[in-house]
Amino acid sequence: MGKVKIKKKSTHIDMTAMSDVTVLLLTFFMLTSTFLQKEPVQVITPPSVSEEKVPDEKLVQVLIGPDGKVYLNLTGAKDSTQLSTETFRSEVLQEAYGSYSETHPSAPKLTMQQALEFSKIGTFGVPMKDLTSWLGMKMEKRDDFLKNEGGIPIAISVKDGPRNEFQTWLNAVKVVMQRHDLGKDLVGGRGVAIKAGQDSPYSLVQVVMDNLQTEKLNKFTLMTSLKSEEE
Amino acid sequence: MAKKDKSRQKKFDTRIDFTPMVDMNMLLITFFMLCTTMLKSQTLDLVLPTNDNINKEEETKIKESDAITFILDGTLDKDGQRSTNGKIYYYEGQPDMENFTLNEIKFGNDKDAIRGMLQKRNKELLDQVNKFKEEWKTGKINDSIYNAKVKEARAKQAEDLNAKRPIIVIKPTANACYADVVHMLDEMQINQISTYQLETLNKQDSTLYEHKVGHALGAQ
Repeated sequence: MGKVKIKKKSTHIDMTAMSDVTVLLLTFFMLTSTFLQKEPVQVITPPSVSEEKVPDEKLVQVLIGPDGKVYLNLTGAKDSTQLSTETFRSEVLQEAYGSYSETHPSAPKLTMQQALEFSKIGTFGVPMKDLTSWLGMKMEKRDDFLKNEGGIPIAISVKDGPRNEFQTWLNAVKVVMQRHDLGKDLVGGRGVAIKAGQDSPYSLVQVVMDNLQTEKLNKFTLMTSLKSEEE
Repeated sequence: MAKKDKSRQKKFDTRIDFTPMVDMNMLLITFFMLCTTMLKSQTLDLVLPTNDNINKEEETKIKESDAITFILDGTLDKDGQRSTNGKIYYYEGQPDMENFTLNEIKFGNDKDAIRGMLQKRNKELLDQVNKFKEEWKTGKINDSIYNAKVKEARAKQAEDLNAKRPIIVIKPTANACYADVVHMLDEMQINQISTYQLETLNKQDSTLYEHKVGHALGAQ
């Protein structure tokens, strides 16, 4: 009886091709996607047929939480010869806190360390009185504070009255952008974006719009998500 | 001798096992897929009037008969959630302070919904735009020409003071839902309406509203 010869096959699979594919995929993802922004509140923007993309530079984003808390996020220019995001943030902070200190002389001084810390934070929004202590907190505590006790104080604007804190921030942004010759980008209509949840009552958005109007920023955009046109 | 030595050199397998490399790449891909987003938010441009006092002469005169005022109102669902489909009321021209007429209308594509109503009002311009769209669909003109043509038609309509065009005033109540307001602004875009405004309710509107709904603004 002849022995049945089983041919021994190598179980090794050549992984080179697989590796090629994965590297390609990886490159694709790295180039096309952007990192998710860490935001204190999650909102679902309302659907709209508008197809214009949100600008990714020289942008002031106003985030309105479902309970009416208002946060800001500042992005500088991409072009490195212009205002960078970090400088933008820290200059706005110094400007805004400076004008707050004028009316509140007893407010603690802002240190350079705190300004540096602030320039790394994306979305911010705490009352001015808590600002210095908030910047001194640890990262996790800071996020908690932002979520629970945060929100820039805002109110229906008073004609020719004193600025509320939200307006102080807006004014600081305006001053800094004008200082760097970017004033046109701010008032041109693509400089301010309002992000609010679709279920939010309009009154919350209206307050923000009213304040923007008072600060002469009457052209802005609303952030929406894409919906196809129903025909 | 030296030659013989060389020939005896052990042959190394030049193949490298790529499995760990693939593993690592897969992990990285998973990381990027989970932590990043490809979606970029869209935006809707909005221009509000300035708060500055402007001269009466500088104000654009509009024909009151062309104006339609929409009052957007929100309602609460059974579970107390804000409904995304609130009620919409409208009146044409001046508010009717004698009979307090306030009509109700719905979002949608039907003839008697907002879309149909606005389409009828802006027929002249929409017919032009549809013609361009047809040309664009058949490939006669490309995207940029299409956009330029639509823009030109809109500008022409805006300049021509005698042209029949709707002027829309959107007045959301405090109860209105943000999505509804955006939806309304969308309708303006879909129907190529260039003159519209976002405003707050005045006293007359509130009176009309009160008569229609049966309770004052803000009271539930």
